[in-house]
Amino acid sequence: MTQLVAGGLDTAVGRIEVHDGGEGGGVPLVYLHSAQGESPGSALLEQLAATRRVVAPMFPGFGASQGIEHIDDVEDAAFHLLDVLDRLGLEDCDLMGASLGGWIATELAVRWPERVRRMVLVNAVGLFVEGAPITEIFGRPLPELADDLFADPDHPVAAMMRAMAVFEDDPSQIPFDLLRPMLQALAATARIGWNPYLHDPKLRGRLGRVGAPTLVVHGVCDGIVPRAHAEAYVAGLADARLVDLEGAAHMAVLERPDELAALVRRHLDH
Amino acid sequence: MRFFSFHLMPYPGLPPDYDGPAWITCPNEFFDPASGGALYNRYIDELVYAEELGFDGVCVNEHHQNAYGLMPSPNLIASILARQTSRVRIAVVGNALPLYDPPTRVAEEFAMIDCLSGGRLIAGMVVGGGPEYYSFSLNPTQARARFAEAHDLIIRAWTEPGPFEFVGKHYKLRYVNPWPRPIQQPHPEIWIPGAGSFETLEFVARHRYAYMGIPYFHISVFERMFALMRDACTREGYEADPLQLGWLVPIFVAETDEEARRRFEEHFWYFVRRLLPGINISPPGYTSVQSVENIVKNAGTFALNLKTWDQVVEGHYAIVGSPATVTELLAADVERLGVGNLLGLFQLGTLPAEDTRRNLELFATEVMPGLRSRFPGTDRSAPAAAVS
Repeated sequence: MTQLVAGGLDTAVGRIEVHDGGEGGGVPLVYLHSAQGESPGSALLEQLAATRRVVAPMFPGFGASQGIEHIDDVEDAAFHLLDVLDRLGLEDCDLMGASLGGWIATELAVRWPERVRRMVLVNAVGLFVEGAPITEIFGRPLPELADDLFADPDHPVAAMMRAMAVFEDDPSQIPFDLLRPMLQALAATARIGWNPYLHDPKLRGRLGRVGAPTLVVHGVCDGIVPRAHAEAYVAGLADARLVDLEGAAHMAVLERPDELAALVRRHLDH
Repeated sequence: MRFFSFHLMPYPGLPPDYDGPAWITCPNEFFDPASGGALYNRYIDELVYAEELGFDGVCVNEHHQNAYGLMPSPNLIASILARQTSRVRIAVVGNALPLYDPPTRVAEEFAMIDCLSGGRLIAGMVVGGGPEYYSFSLNPTQARARFAEAHDLIIRAWTEPGPFEFVGKHYKLRYVNPWPRPIQQPHPEIWIPGAGSFETLEFVARHRYAYMGIPYFHISVFERMFALMRDACTREGYEADPLQLGWLVPIFVAETDEEARRRFEEHFWYFVRRLLPGINISPPGYTSVQSVENIVKNAGTFALNLKTWDQVVEGHYAIVGSPATVTELLAADVERLGVGNLLGLFQLGTLPAEDTRRNLELFATEVMPGLRSRFPGTDRSAPAAAVS
């Protein structure tokens, strides 16, 4: 386990929070978080950082990252990520993204495939699949959302989300410091993915431009993104394979860090 | 002091066993077209009746995909009112600007209503409610920016000779040149409804528009809101005119206090418990996080949380009683709030036609005259032209 260290990076849209740690292992692994803005200090990243450099930028609107007002859609998000890679001096990298992060990673990869050596997508949104809609994430009661995000109802984050239900009768009692980051994360996600809902209609037709060998992970209990989306990514990308992760829902990166770290390491070290 | 009769045009027939929200996802199979058609005509009659009774104006508003208010197009109703009335101001409060693309549609339709009515339109402009951003799949994080840009475009369309090109962030129009133009010059009186957000208050004060307090809060919330509006006007270097402030409140008058509560209470609870749920849905990014914090703080005083009639009375969520009681309460509240426009909801929830008419009659004959003498001052912006 290697801890990542938080720092700042000036970008074209504003200063963002970047977590960086570990060394070795060839090109660095850039990790893009989900719409939950999960902590870059998660067990998954610390395990991966034990054998390679891991860089986890927080997207504008998440954590202390500024500049969300300059991002209107997923294309802006892709250009922002390109800017981040440039400023980090990363000519190429391994790119891993969870959910929203997987979508942004792919949008970068279809535009600048030479910047990505290998890629990992975990329960990525980004595609529209007829008959297999992505579940609504906006405006849902937190306890209900927790069931879609986590296979294990006792996961600490799921338990915290359920605990918020006690404030439904009197919202004025909500500790606002707890709510603020969630509101900011959802608003940032809405800027990119409100309509079209969490997808880019043009992305599927462009997937073939990505040559990077890609591991597509589907949490078998995911209540947000149906397996058909993982299948569509695998069908469209030039070189991809699908792995079903047992005991994991949408937030597989939080629920199954050990299994996921092993899978990712195998894929990247190949 | 100006008196307006405001109609929400609610749907009174939600099934008794339905306990979901009245907004966004409320199944539209609950809407019975035959009785719905009769309802529209009844509600329009109630608005027309307000003119006969001596009100200064009537108000309609815009909501979509809900049982709370059946006016997805208030402009359709307003155009009927333009023909069926001849004197009252017709306030559309308002058009949800971001829902019109391009927003020159609003400039056109409002100008039509102003022409049809002989210059009696009050042009309300609103961001649109949170639920509307779900119903239209319109990005809520763009709500404020689209509203501001659409507003600028509409005002320019009314005041600058066309054609001209408009290139904004959200709207790009090569030829802005709307026909017709409004009778009222440079443009109709503009009302902006708001829930107390600082940004909206500043906007209204800067443009010298009128601010309508979005209802269903404890009276103390309105008191704070209007004080903030007056402060904002002072900062702009002028004193707020009471006609720049409007208060919307449910009103029910009967012969005695007991009779009033007896006839009104169940209809009020239908409104609060069946039609309000969902109105407060706030999609991500619809308001700034700072505004959300204020809204959350005030959430406890929102009418949705009302449990008892005593709370209704204490917070002035509705003004209910005999003519003497209602006069006394309203006089005190108007004084306290400093508003020059009283917007009364005389029909609410399931309140039937005969009770609504009786309510309007009693208010017009036994409450309005007392309040008029108490708060003199006339409509300074009288209609520019009479309709023949």
